Amino acid sequence: MKYLLMTYGNQEKWDSLPAEGWTEAIAQQDAFNKRYQESGELIGAYGLGDAAACRMVGREDGLPVVSDGPYLETKEYMASFYLLDVDSEQRALEIAADMPWADREPVELWPILHEAK
Amino acid sequence: MSLPAPADQDLLRTLAPQVLAALLRRHAGAFDACEDAVQEALLAAAEQWPRDGRPDNPRGWLVTVASRRLVDLVRSDRARREREERLFLATPQSELLGRPADADPDADRDDSLALLFLCCHPALTAPSRIALTLRAVGGLSTAQIAAAFLVPEATMAQRISRAKQTIRGSGLPFALPGPAEADGRLREVLQVLYLVFNEGYTATAGDGLTAPALSDEAIRLTRLLHRLLPRDAEVMGLLALMLLTDARRPARTGPDGGLVPLAEQDRGRWDAAAIAEGTALVERALPAGRVGPYQLQAAIAALHDEAPDVAATDWPQILALYDLLLRVAPGPVPALNRVVALAEVRGPAAALKELDALAGELDRNHRYHAVRGELLLRTGDAPAATAAFRRGAALAPSLPERRHLTERARRLARTGPDA
Repeated sequence: MKYLLMTYGNQEKWDSLPAEGWTEAIAQQDAFNKRYQESGELIGAYGLGDAAACRMVGREDGLPVVSDGPYLETKEYMASFYLLDVDSEQRALEIAADMPWADREPVELWPILHEAK
Repeated sequence: MSLPAPADQDLLRTLAPQVLAALLRRHAGAFDACEDAVQEALLAAAEQWPRDGRPDNPRGWLVTVASRRLVDLVRSDRARREREERLFLATPQSELLGRPADADPDADRDDSLALLFLCCHPALTAPSRIALTLRAVGGLSTAQIAAAFLVPEATMAQRISRAKQTIRGSGLPFALPGPAEADGRLREVLQVLYLVFNEGYTATAGDGLTAPALSDEAIRLTRLLHRLLPRDAEVMGLLALMLLTDARRPARTGPDGGLVPLAEQDRGRWDAAAIAEGTALVERALPAGRVGPYQLQAAIAALHDEAPDVAATDWPQILALYDLLLRVAPGPVPALNRVVALAEVRGPAAALKELDALAGELDRNHRYHAVRGELLLRTGDAPAATAAFRRGAALAPSLPERRHLTERARRLARTGPDA
């Protein structure tokens, strides 16, 4: 069964982190990604751009209409997402709890109901 | 590469575990190299047979090609695996290539079984067991397995490679388990096959060659196991359970792809041949030996499949079988199924009372809420039933199930309890 694991944040939060900690943080995340890619449970890991780079796209009279996003006004936005394929919800919870930052920032875990073939 | 003719494809997949077993018998310590060599021999056959014709002795052909490939593989890995090479080259070539692999069919039968036990070893993770079994015993390619599970090929390749590393690293034996652990290990094998079946039963069937239908594959492998262990009652039980469940597949989804519950299925569309075969297997299994959970579930499925409609179903007998099942394999899910049978025998109020006892364990299970909704509706409490269906829809693990329960709640909310 597949799950979407998501982390949230905002520029203010990233700015508050001391720069000297980044290398270590990135190394920890890379190690996490490698660990679960090798077990065949992590299908992919993706980092998103800042909310300021998000665009909203609609269509009027057959033509695209583009404006600044995001759609939802919230304090924090999705920062990264991870696609998991595991044999139980229990296992997905274990992997989520193993995210390097999960001791400071909880991550969101959503079951995936359907995917296009 | 040209696609092999279907007859070749079937034969290749039947021979795959036998060829691997033949290689492993001589090089049990080099599971991963043997497995790679067999895959390459299968690919070579798929390319050459349609062009040059099928060889007179297809199995001998595959063993020869795979053995040569194994020599190449081991030589090319010289730097990395010198120790294995020394072991390998110590084996006389005549031993490897000279002896016809089909000289002793009885030995090969046992080897296929040992291979299945190895692929389903509890030291491997469940997803690795499934992937390795489908590749090494099922003869499927990594790409086919990946397509069947809708994951990228790289992800599936990782699972297979990790499983092979575990086998190499922990020195898991290529041998039948001893009598002390045989029962437990066989249960692990049955569980892997049942997981493959369920994956195929809940997912949409794949498109033949590229994504084989996993339920068909599970039935094929369980048939193989039944051939290897013809007297084992639980193997018969599992094969029967798969056949009796799969028999309903044609009636299980409506023309719009929506889920059709058992009670509303057009029973004329059930596969009568599969039902007859499954029923005969249960009837042979039950008196044969110790009663196990697969035999009991198969017996229950047989009673459903034999009934012309829901009303004519032998519910007291089904209830008795669930009571037995809960004794040999206790768990909240069979307990929930038992409640459904109980409602038919003793009415919805009695069933609801027993259902409440499962609330703690099953509160996040969509079927618990679906069953609760049906029972509440029968007692006349439509508002509570609607709420239960909505809760079930929110927890459903697949889109068809969510649509089905959402629709149930919607109809009820709109038109009242007669909907």
